[in-house]
Amino acid sequence: MKKRSIFLSISLALMILLSACAKPASPADQTPAANTGEQVLLVWDQFYRDEESKVMETLNAEFEAAHPGVKIQREVKVLADLQTTVKLALANADGPDVAQVNQGRNDMGALVEAGLLLPLNPYLEKYNWSSVFSTSVASRNSFTEDGKTFGTGNLYGVSPTAEVVGVFYNKDIFKKNRWDVPTTFEDFEALLAKIKTEGITPISFGSLDGWNAIHEYSAIQHLLVSLDYINNLTYGVNNVSFDIPENRQAAQILQDWAKAGYFTEGFPGIGYDDCNNLFKAGNGAMTITGSWLAPELMVGTDQEFGFFLLPPFAGKTGLAIGGVGIPFAIRKTTEKQDLAAEYLNWMISPRAAELWAEAGMLPAMALPEDSKVDTNNLFGDTLNAWNAINKENAVGHYIDWATPTFYDTLVAELQKLLGGISTPANFTEAVEADYKAYLQSKSE
Amino acid sequence: MAHVTNKYPGESRWKGLWYLLPTLLVYLLFTFLPILETIRSSFYQWDGFSQNRTWIGLANYVELFTDPKFHNALRNNLVFVIFFSIIPILIGLFLASLLSRRAIPGFAFFRTALFLPQVISMVVVGVIWRWMFNPTFGPINLFLRQIGLDVFAISWLGDFTWALPAVGSIGTWVQYGFCMVLFLAGMQHINEEYYEAASLDGANAFQQFIHITVPGLRSEITVALVTTIIAALRVFDLVYTTTRGGPGESTMVTGFLIYRAAFTNNRIGYAAAIATILTLIILIISLFIRHFQQQGSEESA
Repeated sequence: MKKRSIFLSISLALMILLSACAKPASPADQTPAANTGEQVLLVWDQFYRDEESKVMETLNAEFEAAHPGVKIQREVKVLADLQTTVKLALANADGPDVAQVNQGRNDMGALVEAGLLLPLNPYLEKYNWSSVFSTSVASRNSFTEDGKTFGTGNLYGVSPTAEVVGVFYNKDIFKKNRWDVPTTFEDFEALLAKIKTEGITPISFGSLDGWNAIHEYSAIQHLLVSLDYINNLTYGVNNVSFDIPENRQAAQILQDWAKAGYFTEGFPGIGYDDCNNLFKAGNGAMTITGSWLAPELMVGTDQEFGFFLLPPFAGKTGLAIGGVGIPFAIRKTTEKQDLAAEYLNWMISPRAAELWAEAGMLPAMALPEDSKVDTNNLFGDTLNAWNAINKENAVGHYIDWATPTFYDTLVAELQKLLGGISTPANFTEAVEADYKAYLQSKSE
Repeated sequence: MAHVTNKYPGESRWKGLWYLLPTLLVYLLFTFLPILETIRSSFYQWDGFSQNRTWIGLANYVELFTDPKFHNALRNNLVFVIFFSIIPILIGLFLASLLSRRAIPGFAFFRTALFLPQVISMVVVGVIWRWMFNPTFGPINLFLRQIGLDVFAISWLGDFTWALPAVGSIGTWVQYGFCMVLFLAGMQHINEEYYEAASLDGANAFQQFIHITVPGLRSEITVALVTTIIAALRVFDLVYTTTRGGPGESTMVTGFLIYRAAFTNNRIGYAAAIATILTLIILIISLFIRHFQQQGSEESA
């Protein structure tokens, strides 16, 4: 009796321990071992929304069909989830062979520094990727080998989609009031005042989530600064400062808009998705955000929407925030490097461009000339804007990539600026303090 | 008291330990070792996934104690103690004394309904209240406008003055039901004769409450204090789902700083240092409350 109870408790303990330690069976374990040359490519992506996910499923199926014996094991995560798990997974010997890795210092930079990503330069030549994307696009996915300098060095990822931040407007409201799409920033501000007097919300905007306030501010900033400046700032080179008159002026304009009541009433307490839903339902004449919103505005609403770039100041040219979406990268320790690279090449193929365009998402690659995608709609507007800024070499940056803490600092300081508890000068000084500290720590 | 012996008849006392073994192993593996690992990490500079791990001694702690963001977060946590702990306990005491002394129709319903917030996941609570507080279509502002109080229909979660109390009051909503149920249970064991004697002596309801109910609930109040204060100090999910620490840094809490340091800034060591200090603070406060309670019960004995 005694012995039995001891035996029981030990076996119980072992059972609990084993069940707790056992790795949850992943689908990869269930596929037969690589017999007859079958290869499984484990891919992590963050295209979780319905339309996006369909594109990925189609691309994967076609890749499998073109490569007999190859099976794509897809794992989908939302971006925040992917960001927190992908780093540890890429450090693992059975981690994903291909994964989407966000740009910027905290993600791609940290992974390069840790030596976990495969440099893609040999494949850049092999597949002639320089004919697919420009050097400006490539630099967004590039780091020096130590992960310290952003924008130069090795290529570590390729992006299938593109993004441009501009102005979505409600065509029905514009038509009814006989308003025209403004062509200068002065016209744009005059229009804001006019819309306000009609009792309509000029710009649908909520700053509760914080991150979209960066786009609101930086879109104006991009009309005032030069491309060299925004490149230097983002890549942390040539010792530029954030505390410059142009940045201060942009802050002043944003604060003036808030004070004039151009944003949704109670905007500090409204989240990004909530204010987009209001806009989609016909509340608000315009909203300033990225082209990624286009697919959502094309279905499930009786309103018609258009898109234009925030217009430049009279007699000047402006930049627009833009760039390429989250790139696919390859785990350095994978044994299937060539297959993974072929998969990356397929992700940025003309076929992929076509599928993304059909789903209403801007492809980072040029559409094939015989493409039959309908561009006489909102998607067409975003495509024209993206092509225009590429032609004029006016593609700016997400400035929150500049330092590892820039995102947090910008969000907090912009909320203070919008709330009227700090001045434009306070704002640029506080952000510069973050930037300067980072440049110093980098040079140490 | 009867004479207490260490020997139990029949079986060796050590045998009992075997029964603890499974739980003990699980505890060691999944609670105790991670705590030790966290403390160890706090002396390193580490991104959480690479091989580059450097011993930097107390540097994380030095940075922490001079970081105004940490001071601000800790201050906000202390404000949350008022909303998560003090106010719910007062409301709980009030409701419990209302519900316990006389028969109320639908008593079970009220008890369950008021306790309900406690069993909902904090993330769900956060999402619901973010919607409640929405300045455009949230029920709170719609109601305020309906009764003509338009001036109070502000942007609750986005207001530099009101965001912290607004998030705090969600905490009050979650915690008071728990306090009430706890106190209701405690009141069952207060001898009814005390109340009879007191009312014969002419004590009114308030005096009875102060001199009989509150002392009788000492141990329950201690439990309520410890659990709700811990909830106030470790809060993360509620802030994450409502304001993300904004506007500015006005609702930033230590739990959020840990998350940010560990998962967006790749600073596991710094995050571990904050977590270690937070654990220490919680430990000290809990010990202090328990010490206070034991002293109190000795005095009254």
